[in-house]
Amino acid sequence: MKRFAKANDIPRETLREWKRGSVKAFEVIVRATMKRAYAISLGLLGNAEDARDVSQEAFIAAHRARRRFDDQRPFFPWFYRILRNRCLNFIQMRARRREISMDVLSERADGRDRPDRDMIRKERIEAVWRALFALSPDHREVIVLRTFQEFSYREIAEALGISEGTVMSRLYYARKALAKALRGIGDQAHVEGDGAE
Amino acid sequence: MTCPRMEHDGMRYIDGEMTGGERAAFERHLDECGDCRRTLGELGEVNRLTESIMIKDPQDEFWALYWKSIYRRLERKTAWIFMIAGIGMLVGYELYRAFSSFGRVTFQKIALIVFIVGVVLLLVSVVRERIHQYRSDPYRDVKR
Repeated sequence: MKRFAKANDIPRETLREWKRGSVKAFEVIVRATMKRAYAISLGLLGNAEDARDVSQEAFIAAHRARRRFDDQRPFFPWFYRILRNRCLNFIQMRARRREISMDVLSERADGRDRPDRDMIRKERIEAVWRALFALSPDHREVIVLRTFQEFSYREIAEALGISEGTVMSRLYYARKALAKALRGIGDQAHVEGDGAE
Repeated sequence: MTCPRMEHDGMRYIDGEMTGGERAAFERHLDECGDCRRTLGELGEVNRLTESIMIKDPQDEFWALYWKSIYRRLERKTAWIFMIAGIGMLVGYELYRAFSSFGRVTFQKIALIVFIVGVVLLLVSVVRERIHQYRSDPYRDVKR
């Protein structure tokens, strides 16, 4: 599992140098965390260009606020709050919604080679991705963190400043909403209303 | 009516966050609760679908430019701060001069008044837009 801790593999000395204003140390931190920051932004915003711009702005905001960072604590949870606020503000402020990027998606290999079903699989992925952006930002966020970033409940709770119980409830309602959105889109994913196994 | 165990235990079951004992106990509950079985079927399928999606890692070129762009933006922001500070100092100085020679109308005073009117209009416009956006924001209840 990818964990918050993995993104925290930044030497403490680098964090201290960064706090003192070293741009070189800042570069090390950005390079260590940029892929995760971009992926989370993309999950929240849906558009690749927006995700790149907003995640870069979040790094700049973090650099400006570096004196408030406690270098005894891990970097990523602190940075995540800045990134999250930037994404939510961006959603609120943008004049019109940009196209959801589809070319950023791929499907996890399931070990079965079935080229005849490639088109259906592609459509299914796109339907799920679109349905995700029909959700409210806080529902989408919890799915992005759990499913795409593979955070544990404890890590999600830490990142969002909520209890683990609230994480479970939010996931429950997010998945319910996603099932409803998928039915609305009329995808071919066979999410049945009665859902019996 | 959904069984209350689904909200917490159901999610922990789907996400593999249960211990072996908890899992066995929940499976016994599933044998007895048709409501949980139905909801688990539906939400488990939603989870499988979302898990099947992967976000592609952009090419190396994208990442090479990523840091450079941050660095350039940092430089530009610093330049803007210096520029705005300089303008603020000039305006402050001109205001001081205007108040020290109150009676005479000079070109500098007119320019200063035009500049201040422009800034005030800009501020009013931004504030009005923010208020309008806040009132029509569907996400304003999302905690930041």
